[in-house]
Amino acid sequence: MKIKLTSVYVDDQDKALRFYTEVLGFAKKVDFSQGPYRWLTVASPEEPDGTELQLALNNNPAAKAYQQAMFQQRQPAAMFFTDDVKGDYERIKARGAEFTMPPTDVTASIIAMLNDTCGNLIQLTQLARHSL
Amino acid sequence: MTDREHYAPGPARGAQVRKDGEKWTLILVRELRHSPEKVWQALTDPAQLREWAPFEADGSLGTAGTTVKLTTVGAPTPLVSETTVTRADAPKALEYKWGGFDMRWELEDLGGQTRLTLWTNIGHRFISMGAAGWHICFDVLDHLLGGTPIGRMVGPDAMKFGGWQRLNAEYAKQFGIETINWPPRAGQKP
Repeated sequence: MKIKLTSVYVDDQDKALRFYTEVLGFAKKVDFSQGPYRWLTVASPEEPDGTELQLALNNNPAAKAYQQAMFQQRQPAAMFFTDDVKGDYERIKARGAEFTMPPTDVTASIIAMLNDTCGNLIQLTQLARHSL
Repeated sequence: MTDREHYAPGPARGAQVRKDGEKWTLILVRELRHSPEKVWQALTDPAQLREWAPFEADGSLGTAGTTVKLTTVGAPTPLVSETTVTRADAPKALEYKWGGFDMRWELEDLGGQTRLTLWTNIGHRFISMGAAGWHICFDVLDHLLGGTPIGRMVGPDAMKFGGWQRLNAEYAKQFGIETINWPPRAGQKP
């Protein structure tokens, strides 16, 4: 048994695909549809066969309420790890993303937060190097 | 189950694509040797829909203003969408939504037979897959109405079936689009 997939709800899958690939820099992994259902995932180009992120259409009233409440409380819907949060911040910001928090030192890590334009806040995390 | 085992869909036919900017509409036409009244029942009655349609309905689709929950059969995670029937002129015209798709059915009486037309919008990358799926559904519907049901073939049951893959390729060619390979190979970028 493996953890192979995590999901975020998005309000528009085409828009989400553009944001997660063109702005964040992930790569489309799987995209198929059955009737109105569309299974859409992206993966990191650094780890093409690694964990996938499903961009799931939020057509569920309960999930919509949860998503909005999380957004209002500034809770991230997903968290991505990086070795260079400042570099990613500059790169992603240059592509037009809105950061709600610039790279900020917190306990054991540096974090930044951005709006994915599809209803979510996304956190970027760089773990602090351990000094032995 | 013998009829189901022997079933093989005919060539791709009776489908058109209308392109209106980003919105593409799939138009499917099928002539059925049954009366519009009989076809209407199969389009609206939940028990009959269960025998051929790619979704289940929790109530009749036959009355305008009714709200019905449609469950997509075989979706990788449960997908239930609520729709309100916006038009139900028995046995001629029926309109509702399936998820984000408009569904408009028209039944034309050809002297006791029916020319059935479906207009539905669908993401254009998947439009040949939709045409292939509906083609098989209409074959199953035809068997059902003729009293020799072969059982619903939708979702994964249809896709793993060689006839579906051939139809998908044929419709993609007719529509002048590229379709994705199915099943996807590891690492494929569709």
